[in-house]
Amino acid sequence: MARPRTTDGAVKLPVRPDLRRVHVTLARIVLGTVFVFASIEKIADPDAFAAAVANYRALPAFPALAAATVVPWVELLCGFGLLSGTRVRGSALLISGMLVVFTGLVISALLRGLDISCGCFTLDPSAATVGWRKVAENVLLLAAAGLVLIGWREAPRFGQATEPRVDAGGD
Amino acid sequence: MGVAGSYRTALREAAGIAAAAAVLGFLYNGVTGKGFFRTPTSPGESVRGAAAPPELVSLDEAQRFHRQGSALFVDARQGADFSAGRIAGAISVPLQQFHAKHPVLALIPRDRTIITYCDGAECNSSVELAALLRAAGYTNVKVFFGGWREWLAHGQPTEP
Repeated sequence: MARPRTTDGAVKLPVRPDLRRVHVTLARIVLGTVFVFASIEKIADPDAFAAAVANYRALPAFPALAAATVVPWVELLCGFGLLSGTRVRGSALLISGMLVVFTGLVISALLRGLDISCGCFTLDPSAATVGWRKVAENVLLLAAAGLVLIGWREAPRFGQATEPRVDAGGD
Repeated sequence: MGVAGSYRTALREAAGIAAAAAVLGFLYNGVTGKGFFRTPTSPGESVRGAAAPPELVSLDEAQRFHRQGSALFVDARQGADFSAGRIAGAISVPLQQFHAKHPVLALIPRDRTIITYCDGAECNSSVELAALLRAAGYTNVKVFFGGWREWLAHGQPTEP
């Protein structure tokens, strides 16, 4: 059976609405900060990022360079979107997609036994190499993005009825 | 607004963000001349200093250096890999622990022939360590790209 949904399509999570808002806001702040932070060094040095992408040996040089040109800006815009509360679900959707691709690349690198640095937050090649820890981090971030994607609703406009408060019999 | 409409909105927003990012990315790199729009470095530029690609040595050459004892083999892998098995006589300088004041730098003369290696062709810490060593002032740094796997596969001297 489908999960109950509110009138605007967001899935009703089995928590009190005000509590859900806190969760979604926390997830937005964490994800937004992580992605803005992750994008800055890559934007500043797309060549180093392209080299880090090429190290995964999953893309030829030209597409790797194109990805290195665009992806950091997607990260930055999505991060700002989440933090500022504009285009939140679009940002969460893109971030989920990117996390799935990044995690796939990391897993494939690990399975092929590649000894490479991640190129995730820093482009310093002497930083720690990718490992299963990175996969776990990404799964947590993906969960946060999923929470934002299904739980976010636009702030109600004035005069618009809000969801009735569910009181589960006091605190 | 229904469920499908809500997700359509999210998709539309995502497409808009991606398009804006593509425009910004290409515009920024076009203006700054980075990434996609970087002009290829001239040959004269690339042989200068640490920016030049390190010299790669084949298994045969590595064997010759090893037999003659004329080069110091430097293992760029993690300490545990080094302990488990290494090229005989190699020293361990894990890439992740390398820094400009690494104690090993005080012990190796700057003109000593150094050959770095890591696990094999599927790793690049040997190349990165070679670049760092050159930046630290070593003038004769080479990379044995076949690495530990090729060395082992050809039954060359190992420790322990």
